[in-house]
Amino acid sequence: MPKLRIEAEVNGRKVNRETEPHKRLLDFLRDDLNLTGTKEGCGAGECGTCSVFVDGKLVKSCLMPAGKASGAKIETIEGLAKPGDLTPMQRAFHKTGASQCGYCIPGMVMAATSALRENPQADIEEIKERLGGNICRCTGYTKIFEAVEIAKGVIAGTVPETALEEDTVDDSFIGANVRRLDAPSKVSGRLKYAADIKMPDMLQMQVLRSPHAHARILSIDTSEAEAMDGVACVITAQDVPGTDGFGVFVHDQPIMARDKVRHVGEAVAAVAAEDLVTARRALSKIKVEYEELPGLFDPGQAMDPGAPVIHDYARDNLIKHIPVRKGDVTAGFAEADLILEDDFTTQQVEHAYLEPEAGIAYVDPDDVVVVISPSQNISHHRHMLAEIIAKPINKVRFIMSPVGGGFGGKEDMIYQGMLALAAMKTHRPVQLNFTREESLIASAKRHPSRVHYRMGVKWDGRVTAIEFDMLSDGGAFGMSSEGVMRKAAILSCGPYEVHNLKVDTRVVYTNNTPSGAFRTFGGMQAQFATESMMDMAAEALDMDPFEIRRVNMMKIGAKTHTQQTLETASLDRVMDAAEQASRWEKGAPRVRGATRKDLNGPDTRQPCTLGARIKKASTDSDESERVA
Amino acid sequence: MTSRMKRGRGMAASWYGIARTATIDRAGAWAELDDGGTGKVVTGVTEIGEGILTVLAQVAAEEMGIRPEDVTIGDNDTSRAPEAAHAGATRQTYMIGNSVALAAREARDALFEEIADHWDVPVESLRAFNGEIWAEDTNLRMTMEDAVATCKGRGVVPVGSASFTAHGTGLDPVDGSGSPWQAYVFGTQVAEVEVDTWTGEVQVLGIWAAHDVGRAINPRGVEGQIEGGVVQGLGQALMEEYTTEKGHAITHGFAKYILPTSLDIPQINCSIVEDPDPKSPLRAKGIGEPALVPTAPAIMNAIYDAIGVRIKSLPATPERILEALRNHVPGREQIAQSARLERAEAARHQSAKV
Repeated sequence: MPKLRIEAEVNGRKVNRETEPHKRLLDFLRDDLNLTGTKEGCGAGECGTCSVFVDGKLVKSCLMPAGKASGAKIETIEGLAKPGDLTPMQRAFHKTGASQCGYCIPGMVMAATSALRENPQADIEEIKERLGGNICRCTGYTKIFEAVEIAKGVIAGTVPETALEEDTVDDSFIGANVRRLDAPSKVSGRLKYAADIKMPDMLQMQVLRSPHAHARILSIDTSEAEAMDGVACVITAQDVPGTDGFGVFVHDQPIMARDKVRHVGEAVAAVAAEDLVTARRALSKIKVEYEELPGLFDPGQAMDPGAPVIHDYARDNLIKHIPVRKGDVTAGFAEADLILEDDFTTQQVEHAYLEPEAGIAYVDPDDVVVVISPSQNISHHRHMLAEIIAKPINKVRFIMSPVGGGFGGKEDMIYQGMLALAAMKTHRPVQLNFTREESLIASAKRHPSRVHYRMGVKWDGRVTAIEFDMLSDGGAFGMSSEGVMRKAAILSCGPYEVHNLKVDTRVVYTNNTPSGAFRTFGGMQAQFATESMMDMAAEALDMDPFEIRRVNMMKIGAKTHTQQTLETASLDRVMDAAEQASRWEKGAPRVRGATRKDLNGPDTRQPCTLGARIKKASTDSDESERVA
Repeated sequence: MTSRMKRGRGMAASWYGIARTATIDRAGAWAELDDGGTGKVVTGVTEIGEGILTVLAQVAAEEMGIRPEDVTIGDNDTSRAPEAAHAGATRQTYMIGNSVALAAREARDALFEEIADHWDVPVESLRAFNGEIWAEDTNLRMTMEDAVATCKGRGVVPVGSASFTAHGTGLDPVDGSGSPWQAYVFGTQVAEVEVDTWTGEVQVLGIWAAHDVGRAINPRGVEGQIEGGVVQGLGQALMEEYTTEKGHAITHGFAKYILPTSLDIPQINCSIVEDPDPKSPLRAKGIGEPALVPTAPAIMNAIYDAIGVRIKSLPATPERILEALRNHVPGREQIAQSARLERAEAARHQSAKV
């Protein structure tokens, strides 16, 4: 294929290079110029991690063909300040703690810089609008807004530069707002995540994924792919030398599909090749014969007789059932003045860390298999991988690269095994970077849940009994399901001392995308139901929602649902703090929004109408051009 | 009121377990007071974005009498660092924080012993902070740089190591009884929303989030965790939904899988409550996961307050809000009314008896 010549100015220096014509500006910056501060988060212009300036305008470099940038002046995160230095914007991000995992931050700094270059007097509402094309999954944006406002003041000279400095510390570092030590590396784009690392002689991996939710694999023919120029190896389940299977509680997931596939997107085979394009082409040469099996998609039908069986060891598709019993629920309900009964459901949720899964594996000179990846559980992964590749523990080494957001989603070893196998087969470093689409279909989600709830209450607000029955969809593999059900059961009925309860949490296999660990680990799904019921009970009893909770809350000495005696309990103080801070107007939750007096205080934001603020700002100024 | 925009408020409380014991949790760390009065800490796993590196540097600095920026943390390598288990479960500050505190304390104790002997003062009289060491009630004082040099000059490298665990029991398989966590934290959030009854769109305008964290090692970092948790909770409450059709993802990119952006963010007002943990040296607990728990129910309770419909199926998308408004039956209000009447009746009965 003919090469494409690109002449441009990048961060103040002339660049004159040939590159492949299919490349996006993002690829040219990252692969050809090693400017890896510009990140790929979605490849579709949705997340903003790849934001750069092209001729002074903020552009998502994943949407611009590299050829389009020829002749342009390009500025990336690396070019904002002199090497080793930080701009006031970057220093402000450092000061306020605006970077957490840091993966979105180079793009966010670019967008924030653009906002103030476009309008140095932008008010906070306009700043928010101008940051609207950049997603951050960690910070909740609040510290980012704060940083942009400080930077605005410092740049305009209305705020002294000392505002960017660290708070002074009195007599202890405990309780002090010490600035994040890793922030300079993140706000400058210097920190290398797994996808940013290059090693000499490194191969690129691509994964062939199942197009079926449930199918038997009749045959896999890799010969044509293996014969291709530039292909170093093709791996399948047949290449696993040890005991295949990983998982947090039950090792039910093979490194790659073995005999059958259980969800769309499950890895079936993988190619390691000299470059990404060759690896992708090779995937299309792998021939897999499937025999489709009936799929199971409704967790409510998973335990029905005759339902498709997903794993042979669990003929009833039950992954785990956790029962919690306390007191006598029959007596508790008999004692109740009012019994409320209802159903609640929660959805499948994606972690949406901005850093898609990525990793590198190689075999070191001492024959140690090394895996570098943003794994949240390197200790457990090395144990599992040692079994899978039949090596002693000290011949398996896991290095946790900077994690660009995890939230539980990077606890499962869903690709590290493939990397290890390919590295062992080729004795070359192998890298795999997921696309966003791949990350979405192959990684675990928050367990979707259905809760059937019965709650008995006395007129004085006391909860006399609770029956809590949760069914969760575990999807195709067990992953963290058992632990999630345990935590959901333990926390189920909320921070209230209930003397009589019957709690059951169950999780079943289906052919849906697997469910796994996700921030709160089942606690959120359970307490959504409980906290909704509490308000419904408060309404029925004509009580203030804080009051009904105070009547029932756990205090020191309370016995939890699992009959653990609490030696400390702070819910009284926590509720007081929330009630006071919010200036809560007392009253039963009886649709009194229209008459409340505590609304629209100075500690709320104004509702927004899309686009209104930029329009206002641009009609105010001469510069009416809108940044794309 | 028949206006299009309706506001309301709701609240929700929550709790969460810290320091998992159902499967025994543990974390190891090594520490060294190094040349120049700097510190080295090595431990198995650290940062996933929550700020634990900085927290560990603060903890090590406090214990060793140096500054956080002088602490270097070697981490995240199963072949070069002691096991610290995994990065999740709101366990980092509690498990690894305490392990690092104990390891750093041991390194400092090794140094103190040498300096006490060097100055001929009781070891109990020594204090160190912010790069200086001194003996109380004396004018003996030197930099930690000199102290480390003195210590090494006496043939001692001040090192320490520690392992920290939490105590408890697993759950009984029949009745679920047991003590699965060593510590519990509590939280309460209030949400204020505006619902557009024409489009079904919900905007969250304010969140008041009060959370017990035991002890806030870095209050700004705690706020960051609360703000991030609230916004993830808001996303799950109102817009995020991974959807499949016969196992095939419909929401296969961020154009379809909708996430909160800067325009969706309420003003988040954090209240940090400190109820110190009595069972660990640091007395801190945790905040990463707990911050998310009460957000969605607080928002649903606020939506009810605004428009009188209860969303029991997340997320409360505009479509679901409109559908709920269309099918709105005032069921709960009738229950409340009859409950009030019955209670009044019962109270009258009671007073008649007396």
